[in-house]
This record gives sequence, structure tokens and C-alpha cells, in this order.
Amino acid sequence: MSETVTRGTTTAPLSTAPSPSLMRRLFTLRESPPTAVKRGVGLLGVAIAIGVWWILTLGATPETRIVSPVVLPSPGEVLRSIPTLFTERALIASTAATLRRVLAGFGLAIVVGVPLGILAGAYRIFDALTGPMSVFLRNIPVAVLIPLTILWFGIDETQKTMFIFIATAPFVFFDAARAVAGVHDRYVETAQTLGATPAQIVMKVLIPLALPDIYNSLRNLFGLAFGYIMLAELVNAEHGLGYLLMTSQRRGLTEHIFAILIVIGLLAYGIDRLLFWFQRGLFPHRSDDE
Amino acid sequence: MTEPAPSDAAAAKPASPAAPPTSAAPSAPAVAPPVVVFDRVTKTFDNGFTAIKDVSFVVDDMPGKMEFVSILGPSGCGKSTVLRLIAGLTPHHPASSGIVLIGGRNVVGPGADRGMVFQDYSSFDNRTVEDNISFGLECRGVSADERRTRAREWIGKVGLNVDRDAAKYPHQLSGGMRQRVAIARSLILGPRIILMDEPFGALDPATRLRMQDMLVSLSREAQATVFFVTHSIEEAVYLGDRVYVFSAHPGTILKEMRVPGPTFPAKEMQRKPEFMEIVYEIRDLVESLESSNRAGD
Repeated sequence: MSETVTRGTTTAPLSTAPSPSLMRRLFTLRESPPTAVKRGVGLLGVAIAIGVWWILTLGATPETRIVSPVVLPSPGEVLRSIPTLFTERALIASTAATLRRVLAGFGLAIVVGVPLGILAGAYRIFDALTGPMSVFLRNIPVAVLIPLTILWFGIDETQKTMFIFIATAPFVFFDAARAVAGVHDRYVETAQTLGATPAQIVMKVLIPLALPDIYNSLRNLFGLAFGYIMLAELVNAEHGLGYLLMTSQRRGLTEHIFAILIVIGLLAYGIDRLLFWFQRGLFPHRSDDE
Repeated sequence: MTEPAPSDAAAAKPASPAAPPTSAAPSAPAVAPPVVVFDRVTKTFDNGFTAIKDVSFVVDDMPGKMEFVSILGPSGCGKSTVLRLIAGLTPHHPASSGIVLIGGRNVVGPGADRGMVFQDYSSFDNRTVEDNISFGLECRGVSADERRTRAREWIGKVGLNVDRDAAKYPHQLSGGMRQRVAIARSLILGPRIILMDEPFGALDPATRLRMQDMLVSLSREAQATVFFVTHSIEEAVYLGDRVYVFSAHPGTILKEMRVPGPTFPAKEMQRKPEFMEIVYEIRDLVESLESSNRAGD
């Protein structure tokens, strides 16, 4: 230590050596690992989960397993049950039904929520008007809406679409308002000193600058809507992934439940990546995000 | 937007009935009215903070020439308040008392005749360089073809490369390039007044000097009066035809100075002894006034 001091600034201390070993880099606070390592480690995590699953369900007969097949079927059993999901349980039709409901309900929420949100973001008086109501609606437990929407819209498709709409619209509205309100005042002032009218500022400044954030939050809210629809499909549904889950449970088809859960997870991931891919194309000025 | 000042200029400001009529108000409209008149202007915000107090100055019209007015002072001396009162931007506009006249008219709100260049968030992130520069023309309904031609012309005038930079987005530009875009975007509209609020404050010293040179070269392109806020004495003296030195708490004009205009490139001129002498003079002035202010507390 004292030696370092006497040497002054001519030599760097050991701790800031130019290239620390890879192992050291991987376990440095907040240091990002190289992309290849990151992907590999991600796969490793999946492999560990499957490995644990495999060990827990290892055994020739149900009695020799650590966990009973009624509770947890083995990876092989789940995999082998997938073809029957398509042939006997009409997985494709159910997936289509679920997506249709989410798209209709969430689409309606976008059509209503985004323009109103933009209005609230642009005019503080409208924000003040809707603020308390927005907090109230966003904090209603979503399950409460099931009996209410049944009362209002019956038990058919309309109920499911409207359930998604009512459950997500307050969030869409709030996020859109926040995105527009978050556009820095400087942009508005710049536009004003360039002769833009209030309508031009909304159309040419506020909306375009808020749109990437609005899109990003819609992408996240779509995941929320996709989760909610399962809840709605537990009630009197024909087809639908939630309906498939419920009937699998009634018939004791545990391996189907797991297979459907995997399908739902993959579907949600695929949709999110697709939306993200569009995002990069739509907003070239924000292509460096994420 | 500005509206014609009635003969009793104070009548348009019912919030400040105490403001006395002023001799500086244009009573003889035969000659062009001054570009900017501030007559005993005070701005106190709702929270009781007084940004500027009794600020008075007159900037006359100098036809055929781009005149630079440097506004110099420490942080919080109300430099930006003066600019924003001219621009008509809230919450600084309107003044609590006193009279602000632009070309003999009261300020009603912001408009393209008074362009403003800020230090930060200066470009629209979603627009390319070309579309940023043509923003004001787009708002005026100028055709796409003409916008393109004129924007490209201005890309060159502010020292950017048309082929290389026109299609770039702001996040691909350096800080200096973004300020060039902001300046072009303002000047393309031919404003009577250009307000610059520490536009080069975030740039490194070398870029800053190049930007000063670029501004000087543009003075032949635009016949505008530039109000240039800075806390760099060198920048204020080099660019300015006149320099207003402000003090803080509350902001008032300490001294108005006429200084020689930029006759040499920034780097060269700012090394000359006569230039340094003016800089030192202002520095001493600011220091002596501030120390006497402290003693008087």
C-alpha cells in the first residue's frame, strides 16, 4: 500500500489492470456478460428447470417417483400428450378463439383509451378531470369484473370481449396520458417559437414523440390482457385456452395442463417478440432501445 | 403573435395597472420602432420569487445587419426570463409589471417571428435533420418540394453535409451538430428576433469556438437581432455588439457595454490583448459589484 503511494501516479494499482479474466468479469457488480455467454446462461437456466423436473418425476412406476404423476407428470409424458391436444382437444381452434377475444377486447381498449389518453396528456384540465376516476378503475380487482360483465353482457362472446376491454382500457388510457405528459416542455416551446398551432403541436410533436412509449406500454399491456382472458374463459366458453385448461383439470389430464401452459408461454413470448420487431421498424429513432 | 400596441400600452395588461406609460413607447411612428423595448419590467412568480426587477433597455432596429445582444450573468440572474418574456413563453410571460414591446407591439404569445434555440432537448427526436429543419415550413403549409429544397440549402449553411447528414436522426448527431440543426430550423423562417438560451453551454471548448464562427458567418444570411444568453464572458464579448451584464437576486442590468464585433475567427480574436482587456474589465466589474452587494447584505 505504502509503495503505491510513493510511486505516485506513474503506475496504475493492480485492481484496475486493463483486462481482468473472463470469470472475474462475469461476477463483477452490474457488469453485462458478453452476448453469447448471456444466451448460453439463459439456456442453462431452462435446462436446469427441466433437469429438476425430470429428476422429480424419474421412476418406472408412480410409486417410485419423488412426486406423483397426478401432481406432476414427467417431461416425456407431457411431450407425448401434445399430439392429442391437436387431434382430440382442438388446440388450434382454441388458440384462435383466445387470440380473437384478446384482440377484439384489447383493440377496443386501444381505440378508446389511446385518444382519450392523448387528450389527457395534452390538456392538464382533462387530466385533472379523469385523474381520480382513472386511479379508482385501475385498482378494481379484475376478478370482480367477471360477475359484473356477466350481468351486463350475458355469458357469450360479448362478455369476454367486454371483460378484456373494461379490464385493460383504464391502463391503456393512463399509460398513453403519461407518455404524452412525459414529452419534455422544451419540445412544445420550440414548436411554439416555430409558429406551430396547438393542434399542430399535438399532431406533429406530442403524439410522434410519445408514440414509442405508448407502443411499448401497449406491448406490455397485451401480455396483461392475454393473462386476463384465461380468467374469462373459465366461464361458459366454447374453445379457448382457458377453457381447455379447465376441462383438462376436470378430466384429470395433468399432462395436458402442463402442455397448455407451455403453449401459452411460448405464444406470449412469440407475440411479444413480434411486436418488438415491429417496434424497431416503426420507430427508427429509438432503434437503440432494449 | 404580437398585436398592435394601443396608444396607452399599459391598457393591454390589465394585470398591471400600476405600470406607468412610458416615453419609450412609440409616439412618432415615422421611424421604425425599436426591435425590443423593456421598460421597468419586473417578473415575480406565484411563489413570490422575483426573477427580474425593474429591467429597462431599448434595442433599436439596425436595418441590413444582424445585431448581437449578449446577455451575461451568473445562474439565476433572470437572463432566461428576459428571453422568455420576449418569446412570450409561460410562466415567465406575461410580466408582473412594466412594458415589453416587440417592434412596437405587445407580446401576446410565442410566434415564428421570434425563434428560440435552447441548450437541451433542441431537436425533435423523431425527425431527421431535414425534417427538423423544415418543421416550421411544414406548419406554414409549404409544399414538400419547396421544404426539401430550402431545408437542404440550410443544412449546408450551418456547416452540415447535405448528403451525409440530411437523413440522420438526432441521436446519431453530436451535441454541436444538434445545435446547428436547431439554429437552421429557426433561421429558415426568417425571424426578426432570434433568442438563444445558452445554446453552446453543453459543448466542449473547441466545438464552442467553431459554433461561434458559424454564427458569425450566418450574420450575412439573416437580418435578425440575436439575443444571446451565456455565462461565458469571452463568448458574450466575442459575439456581442453590445453586452448587458446582469446581477442576480433579483436580476437587474448592472451595465450595458458596446463592444467591437467579431472581426477575426473566434480562436484568433479571443487571444488578442485588446479582447482580453475587455473580458478582464467585465470580470472585475462583476466581481466588485458582487462583493459590494455581499457587503451590503
